[in-house]
Amino acid sequence: MIPDVSQTGEAVEQQWVPQPKAPVVMLNNVGKTYGRYQALGGVSLALSGGVTGILGLNGAGKSTLFKLLMGKLRATQGEVRLFGTNPWKNPAPYARVGYVPENESLHDWMTAFDFVTTFARLHGLTRDEAKLEAERVLEFVGLTDVMHKKIGRYSKGMRQRAKIAHALVNDPDLIILDEPLQGCDPLARTTIMNVIRELGRMGRTVLLSSHILSEIERITEQIVILHQGRLLAIGNVHAIREQLDNIPHTIEIECSDAKALARDVLSLDSVHGLQFPNNTKLRIFTHHLGEFHKHLPKVVVENGHGVTNINNPDDDLQTILGYLTGGPR
Amino acid sequence: MAKARGETIWTALDRKATAIAEFTMRQYRTRISTWVVLGVGFLSISVVLLFYIDAMNTEIEAIDNDGDSFDSDGDGYVDGQEFKLGTDMFDEFSHPGLFNPPIEPEPASMYINEDDYDWDYSDARSVSTGYDDDGDCLESQLLESQKDTNNDGIACNILIVFNSLTGEYEIFADSGVDEDPDEDRYGKEAQHRAFVLAIGKLGFVFLLSIFIPLFLATGLIRDEMTSGTMHYMTAKPIARGEIFLYRMLGYLGIVWPYMLVMCLLMAIISGLLGPGDQFFRFADLGVWFSVLIAALLATLVYGMLFCFLGVLWKYGIILALPIAAWELGMALLSMSVPESTFLRMSVVGWSMSIIDSGALLVWPDMDMFTQAGSWAGGSNDGNSFFSFETESLPGHGALEWAQSDLGLGMGPYPTIIVSMIILLAQAAFFWFIGQLVFKSKEIE
Repeated sequence: MIPDVSQTGEAVEQQWVPQPKAPVVMLNNVGKTYGRYQALGGVSLALSGGVTGILGLNGAGKSTLFKLLMGKLRATQGEVRLFGTNPWKNPAPYARVGYVPENESLHDWMTAFDFVTTFARLHGLTRDEAKLEAERVLEFVGLTDVMHKKIGRYSKGMRQRAKIAHALVNDPDLIILDEPLQGCDPLARTTIMNVIRELGRMGRTVLLSSHILSEIERITEQIVILHQGRLLAIGNVHAIREQLDNIPHTIEIECSDAKALARDVLSLDSVHGLQFPNNTKLRIFTHHLGEFHKHLPKVVVENGHGVTNINNPDDDLQTILGYLTGGPR
Repeated sequence: MAKARGETIWTALDRKATAIAEFTMRQYRTRISTWVVLGVGFLSISVVLLFYIDAMNTEIEAIDNDGDSFDSDGDGYVDGQEFKLGTDMFDEFSHPGLFNPPIEPEPASMYINEDDYDWDYSDARSVSTGYDDDGDCLESQLLESQKDTNNDGIACNILIVFNSLTGEYEIFADSGVDEDPDEDRYGKEAQHRAFVLAIGKLGFVFLLSIFIPLFLATGLIRDEMTSGTMHYMTAKPIARGEIFLYRMLGYLGIVWPYMLVMCLLMAIISGLLGPGDQFFRFADLGVWFSVLIAALLATLVYGMLFCFLGVLWKYGIILALPIAAWELGMALLSMSVPESTFLRMSVVGWSMSIIDSGALLVWPDMDMFTQAGSWAGGSNDGNSFFSFETESLPGHGALEWAQSDLGLGMGPYPTIIVSMIILLAQAAFFWFIGQLVFKSKEIE
């Protein structure tokens, strides 16, 4: 996870020299500016294997990062390496990459089967090979029964899966998914999450972006947080959560008797403040989220409180980013 | 994926090329705009075709070019008959009815179109031709010297000499030779040739070959970049220059068959309806072939150019419009001043050279035929006997406008070859800079 420039070796530009030891993705102090607007600044990152979630709000630079990796954009500073090769103006490394762009436009007039077949042939497959490959990947994403229908008639989730299928032809080593869950219904989300987890199990390097922490958490523990074009945090999602333990958190508990619960909860060391919005709702302030969550179940069970809902309003990305960038908002 | 035996870079290229070309063709076919553009092209050519059909079915009024169907003295005998028999056409008391035995007056219609020109058209520099069909020269009472006013030693003929200084033919005719041509015969032939040339140059090479690429090729790459679907193609291991080229292949896969069908349609209709004794004007197929070649190359060059402009700028069509206007100017210039050096900086100029060369190969008499129409058969050199009408024949104006010389100063075959090479080089050049621009384009 931590950038290590020394392990990359010298990349030869414009010429495809496979470098098995180079990390799949390597960014060294990469920046991208549009005039005076900085979309991405000084990002360093090296990734090989596993599923990594790139987390950030809209405009944090996730898509920019992916587009730099896919040679769609040119870095204004630093070096971008894909399998040890600069991807700008050099499509050779894309042979090992599958890319699912964020934009929703697709070739609606094609069937998913034709779409995947056509683009599989760009990997140099023959017509027959491409058809076999298309059938394989469409089955993998669960579109086999609708693959001969026009994409224009697909639901959002099916469209996303068609895009993922097209990216999976030729069995890529790196799969980049830009907001693959955006706009999908819960069922499609689950299907796509399973597909991504499966890819991770198969040993592929998967990069996916999202602005929803809980989504990413369900897929992977390895996350990178981007904020305003900067790399804010990198590592295990639990480790990041641990860091969050030491900053004030709010927890809302809906229960039958808020006052009774408050009495018992006050005995916990981690609690440092309480509020009663109404009789059935208790708002708890804590500096040690992990500690609190460890003891809460015991308190609830031992005293027989009828808890209907535990809500952690701070546990969204916006709040986390607020804390990480300095103090609660 | 392991490479199979016999796999070369070419087989891989071929797979990518056909994949993108097929994809592009299917994409065109699903778009309604493609059919609108091609349909409008078909309609506009068809409208011009209707005018041609109308012209071919309209009898051109016969004119008495030499005025000898007129009865000047009112004695019932037309001037031509009186002249032939040696009576005084201005004296009502001198006419062939007073002969013994008296001769009946001939109808005036016998003296209209009675001496059509009958030379063998050739591209020789100096030709002695013409025959006095009605006998008003050979059988007249004129002196031998009066029968040979052009002083070439041959009585009652026409001498055609090419003047290399002016680049035109000079015509020296003895009086009364080929002086009353058949307007309908000349007019139909001239109109037919003018139609083939005009529709080939302005219809196919200018109108179709500019506007079809303008609407179909400008967005070939740009539309995909705007809609975001270009992300799928550019994420595959294929160079952008190849994408550009194979997209163009798909475009040609739609536009070239269309041009072929349109050309074939025109060739068949005009070949069947055109003037002539034969059932079908087979020779004209040569001209249509040159029109086809010119149109195919023009759509190729303009396609590359407009596709490049689309890549260059989101509103590439705005850049394409002044080019279309320039090409229109060049098209008109090519028809009037074919040797202008400005034409070398156009696509249309080179394409039209191909058509002019093709026309010259099929109709080698083109220059003479055109000029013959201007002097209306009778000699207009001032010493002719019958030269009442020296206006040009019907169809001559149209033909003179549609036809132009080869501007390169070479023969037709070299002109065709040079023009084709230049057009292909232009296409390659636009592809080259187009893919350079595309390659360094950031795709949002």
